[in-house]
Amino acid sequence: MRPALLLVLALALAGPALASESHPSLSELEGQVMCPVCGTTLDQSDSPAARQIKRIISARIAAGDTRSEIKAALVEDYGPAILAEPSKRGFDLVAWLLPLAGIAVAAAVLAVAARRWSRRQPAPDGAPVHLEPELERRLDEELARFE
Amino acid sequence: MKLAQGVALAAVVGLLGLLVWKVVTEQRSSAIPAAVAGGKKPSAPLFELPLLRGEGTVELRSLRGRVVVLNVWASWCRPCASEAADLEASWRRWKSKDVVFLGMDWHDAASDARRFARKHGVTYPLVRDRDGQVLSKYGVDGVPQTFFIDREGRLVGEHFEGPVDQEALSRNIELARS
Repeated sequence: MRPALLLVLALALAGPALASESHPSLSELEGQVMCPVCGTTLDQSDSPAARQIKRIISARIAAGDTRSEIKAALVEDYGPAILAEPSKRGFDLVAWLLPLAGIAVAAAVLAVAARRWSRRQPAPDGAPVHLEPELERRLDEELARFE
Repeated sequence: MKLAQGVALAAVVGLLGLLVWKVVTEQRSSAIPAAVAGGKKPSAPLFELPLLRGEGTVELRSLRGRVVVLNVWASWCRPCASEAADLEASWRRWKSKDVVFLGMDWHDAASDARRFARKHGVTYPLVRDRDGQVLSKYGVDGVPQTFFIDREGRLVGEHFEGPVDQEALSRNIELARS
């Protein structure tokens, strides 16, 4: 029963994604393509350069191009930086992997720090307690006053 | 713990290095228009770019010994259309006198750029800097712009941010030839 449910869910999610690939809309692509002279995505810009790219996208959508074909044509004309998301190949992969590596390193540092911190917790009853030398000296002095 | 500290330190040093590199690169590129405006003669950043029309490339180094008028434009740029006739007329006037006009198309669709060149009857060589990487070294962040390069490959004369006319072109070409 469970695998069947998962299959239905996967198909339900894949449907819109496939439709978007084969029949992209201008508004969808405007959020995925940069205006090369303004440093924002197309949906944030009405500059002449942005208008040119929106016109190109509209013409390609009308001609029946897929989302990937449109993006490939834009990269050919304007270079890879025209895409808002870096590609998942070559050096661009670093942009995807670096945040994950950062999270992994931070988690490792936290884990090691937590382990060290937990070792400093008070020893259970009966176990010998080792104080810092300075603390031990001050404790001896305080106790000596009561003798 | 020492390993984790080392990794964290390396990451911080790496990110700081990237930041310094970015700041230094941007300062260097914006320094070129300022140097030209200040009357200095900085070396024109070298490049090799593909021709907009036909096969092949143009390498700036190969133009050494001639004066180069470097005009940056795009088909979507209205002021570029307004200066096109003056650039073409000046090119026809100066091309037999060891002066090369080079149009550099910036952040533009190749098909639109070719249509623009046909419409305005541009006959001098045109190259494409499709992602603006070369022109960022010249500090270019808009169009049109025009630079003048002397026979030794140095940027001289005035740097125009906006349309140029025939009089301004001749004045600066004479200066670059002197």
